[in-house]
Amino acid sequence: MSDTVSRLHQEAEEAKRVWTPRVKDITQDFTTASNKLEGGQLVKDEWFTLFESVGALEIMDPKMDSGYVPPDDTFEADFDPVRPLDLPEVLWVIDQIHSLEILWHAGYPLSQTVFTSLHMDRILDPQQPRMPSLYLHAADKEVNAALTEEQSLGHALLTAYCVAVAKCCALVVELVQSQNYYEEEDFVTHMFGRELLPRVSLEEALELVDAATSRLRKSKTVDAEMKEALQQRMIFRTTFLCALADGGDESRWERMVGLLGRIKTSHEIAKPLPEAFSEKVQRQLATSTPPRPMLTTSWDEACKKWTKMIEDVVAVNRLTDINIVQSPASLQRAMWAFSYRGEPFALPRAIIQDCLFGDQAIRGQIPQYDLLLADIRDLVLAGDPIADPASFQVEVTTDPRHICSRLMEGFMDKAIEEYLNFYRMVCQNRCRIRRLFTQSIAILDAMEMEAMKVDRELIKSSPGLKLNDPKSGRAVSLSPLSSWAKFYRLRILAWTIQLGFETEIYLPYELAGMYWFLSRLSEQRNDLIQQVLLFTVGRAKRLGKDRNALADCLLSEQYLQSLHAMYEITRLLAEALWKLFTLLTSTGVVKKPKQDFTTQQLLYEARMKPYLCLTNDTVPSADDFALATTQNASLEQTCTDIDDCIKSAKELLVKARKLTPEQAKFVGTDEEWKREVKGLEATCIAVTVACSQVRSAGKKYGEDHLAKRLECKIERRWAEWWVVPSVKVKADTKP
Amino acid sequence: MSGPGKDEAATLVEKPTAVDGLHYVNYGDQRESPYLSAIRQLISQDLSEPYSIYVYRYFLYQWPDLCFMALDKDENLIGVIVCKLEPHRGGPMRGYIAMLATRQQHRGQGIASALVRMAVEKMIAKDADEIALETEVDNEPSLRIYAHLGFIRTKRLHRYYLNGNTAFRLILYLKPGIPYKHTYPPEYGGPSDGGGLMDEDLVARQAAQLQLEDVEGETHDVTGGNTYR
Ligand SMILES: CC(C)(COP(=O)(O)OP(=O)(O)OC[C@H]1O[C@@H](n2cnc3c(N)ncnc32)[C@H](O)[C@@H]1OP(=O)(O)O)[C@@H](O)C(=O)NCCC(=O)NCCS
Repeated sequence: MSDTVSRLHQEAEEAKRVWTPRVKDITQDFTTASNKLEGGQLVKDEWFTLFESVGALEIMDPKMDSGYVPPDDTFEADFDPVRPLDLPEVLWVIDQIHSLEILWHAGYPLSQTVFTSLHMDRILDPQQPRMPSLYLHAADKEVNAALTEEQSLGHALLTAYCVAVAKCCALVVELVQSQNYYEEEDFVTHMFGRELLPRVSLEEALELVDAATSRLRKSKTVDAEMKEALQQRMIFRTTFLCALADGGDESRWERMVGLLGRIKTSHEIAKPLPEAFSEKVQRQLATSTPPRPMLTTSWDEACKKWTKMIEDVVAVNRLTDINIVQSPASLQRAMWAFSYRGEPFALPRAIIQDCLFGDQAIRGQIPQYDLLLADIRDLVLAGDPIADPASFQVEVTTDPRHICSRLMEGFMDKAIEEYLNFYRMVCQNRCRIRRLFTQSIAILDAMEMEAMKVDRELIKSSPGLKLNDPKSGRAVSLSPLSSWAKFYRLRILAWTIQLGFETEIYLPYELAGMYWFLSRLSEQRNDLIQQVLLFTVGRAKRLGKDRNALADCLLSEQYLQSLHAMYEITRLLAEALWKLFTLLTSTGVVKKPKQDFTTQQLLYEARMKPYLCLTNDTVPSADDFALATTQNASLEQTCTDIDDCIKSAKELLVKARKLTPEQAKFVGTDEEWKREVKGLEATCIAVTVACSQVRSAGKKYGEDHLAKRLECKIERRWAEWWVVPSVKVKADTKP
Repeated sequence: MSGPGKDEAATLVEKPTAVDGLHYVNYGDQRESPYLSAIRQLISQDLSEPYSIYVYRYFLYQWPDLCFMALDKDENLIGVIVCKLEPHRGGPMRGYIAMLATRQQHRGQGIASALVRMAVEKMIAKDADEIALETEVDNEPSLRIYAHLGFIRTKRLHRYYLNGNTAFRLILYLKPGIPYKHTYPPEYGGPSDGGGLMDEDLVARQAAQLQLEDVEGETHDVTGGNTYR
């Protein structure tokens, strides 16, 4: 397969290099070649794979062959891009390109969007000289000479605008490709054999726009409203271009939001010129995709998308504020906050990744290793010299701080890549986030093994890692790095399950088991946190004089406590839902399909595949799952248990509401924190409602009749990561 | 595969017409059967973009025994299933359901379910370890058929189809111990491995149309092989 693909790559590369738009009649060659075969004879080439079969086209099939010209049609579009235009038409063409451009940002190919503009097509024509112009052919020059002043101005504006759009697109492609994204899923960078004016410099493009704009400004004949409308568009374009080029000045993006608002309203005075766009352009693009329709969108929709995209970039600046990036936990929350701004387009996602990972430093200021060290410190080693940056400067080789620092460095070298992935993964599309995290579990499992080794060494040189457990009185020791690795392994494991809820991976009958698994994981997480807390509290007691270290310890203690509270809420809610779904499934309200071709064990293996690789934990077995999801208690007892869980969860939520951004480390994302807490509260209420429905129906009709009497919908209305049953009595069974 | 459906694909037929003389047959060992064009026509009715003839040949030439057809008394094609079976990345023997369709006016009578059963049974007879397929996230009839047989959803595939629709990957294990079988990682940065490695024409189309070879065995590479500034 790799041979085939590299060959395809190579062929495509070559095709790109030598490709010039000329039409060659191959009928004769083809007939000669095919005459060597017998009619109906099938030849299967060893290298003809499924990929190739799907990539194959049937020539002259109008649905497949993008070069096919129907009998009564022309090869090229009828519209001539040098045709003189009124300014209202110029305005419309500009706005149409603007609309199509945002569809490209939204993930559609250029061939169905920007490239369908015949003006863009002319400007990007491979035969253009270095500085492109609308007047490419000899006859065009005559048209040019005959233009009125306003028509000539219109062409100048349109030319400049198209050049600037091409440059913008080129920069967007560069930015997106510099970061991680998924081609076709998130964005299409494919150029169809065209180039986006690589030989025109940014300065030249800007000059062109400036020259046209100043001509416009000076014009005495263009009316004020039109002048203003066209100017807004030219200013927007240069602002966007400059912002893409150097990214530096954040206020540019903010200004664009304002400009977009004005552009939206001034569209009214545009005069439609739909013939300036045609999907026939595709006939001359290098592509093996079938002809595909030119996309359309309403002006309002396009404006909304543009505003959203630019606002997402503005949000990047807010979410990577220096106060946030100094706190790894806050930064992680900020990444989630970004990701849940309704799936930002590829461009803002690339910009946020660039902010974090460009220059090997977060926002160009905080070295990536410092972020990792701060993370380890905040979670497991606050106030301990092992994680104090100053220790890393100690040069006396016998000094324990020197020894520990080298050990830490060794571990961090191994952990840094996957650690940074925690941030990067959240910048991907939602389906990918889950899958990437799923794959991360095995890596974290291995990292934990590595951490254990380092921990054993650390303990030799670091007295602070041992403690007498106040409860048992026994000497216990902290394994800081493996605890840290385990913390992330469990967190990410839990996230994969909750993202599974969000992306509807689980069928209703699987929910009881998955909630049980989640509650079990939350319990493990809290055991770990309590263990770590013991040491953080103990360390604080011993520190005495060192005020900074003490402050670190106290902050970490508060953070760990906030995590504990949140995991406890997760555990309680998961437990309530586990019991509720177990009840609903066992009474037949939630139906389990017949599943003729499988067994409990096979289903378990298919579902648990990503987790079966774990070596540092026992993963529950198929029997464990079966046992956990068997209904033993009475309906009444189960409902009481569920209510108790919810009651405790609600009490903790009251506390969670009072946590400050510094305590729970949600600096800069207060709003999102509030929304999360609110979502959890609403989930609690939804569970209570469902539970009371089941309870009263049980009393009324008897447990055995619930399946007939109740109907259940699975809903995810209250919080992204929680699926809750909504239960009601069937209409036809009302007394 | 079983590509992007048109909007009306899932419309519930009010009263399905019973099929006179309904019977099921195997595609048989004719490499280019007279049914090929009927199959092609039936399948492409529900696709927003057609497959080339080579796609059909790819499957039918190599796995004619895994194609089953529902015919009426006049031998008209009413429903069809097209599959393949081969080792997946040097690991488990994987069956793959590529296409499934029932004629619009005869839907909702269990015809597709019966076809899937036949295909699954045949694959079991041929010692398959697992069966995979993709289907659009909102294709209720199809999701129901597979849920009934014991398939589970293992992945959600963002914008899987050319028309931008999202799919579920469904899996059915037929033997225990599959997750422990060794498979080789995908040999190249395919579409699902991200990082803009697929910006070439031919490969791009293939990627969007069916990413079936890669999605399952994706490697963990968040950075997609890019170099960072
Ligand atoms: C999917 C398809 C093959 C099903 O064919 P069929 O012969 O009608 O299928 P069956 O009668 O065996 O079963 C369909 C199931 O979906 C249900 N169903 C049928 N139409 C439905 C609809 N519009 N909405 C919800 N469920 C529906 C049926 O009740 C049945 O479920 P049940 O077994 O729980 O009662 C058919 O709809 C089709 O050809 N669609 C277009 C192509 C396609 O989508 N292929 C599948 C891609 S893998």
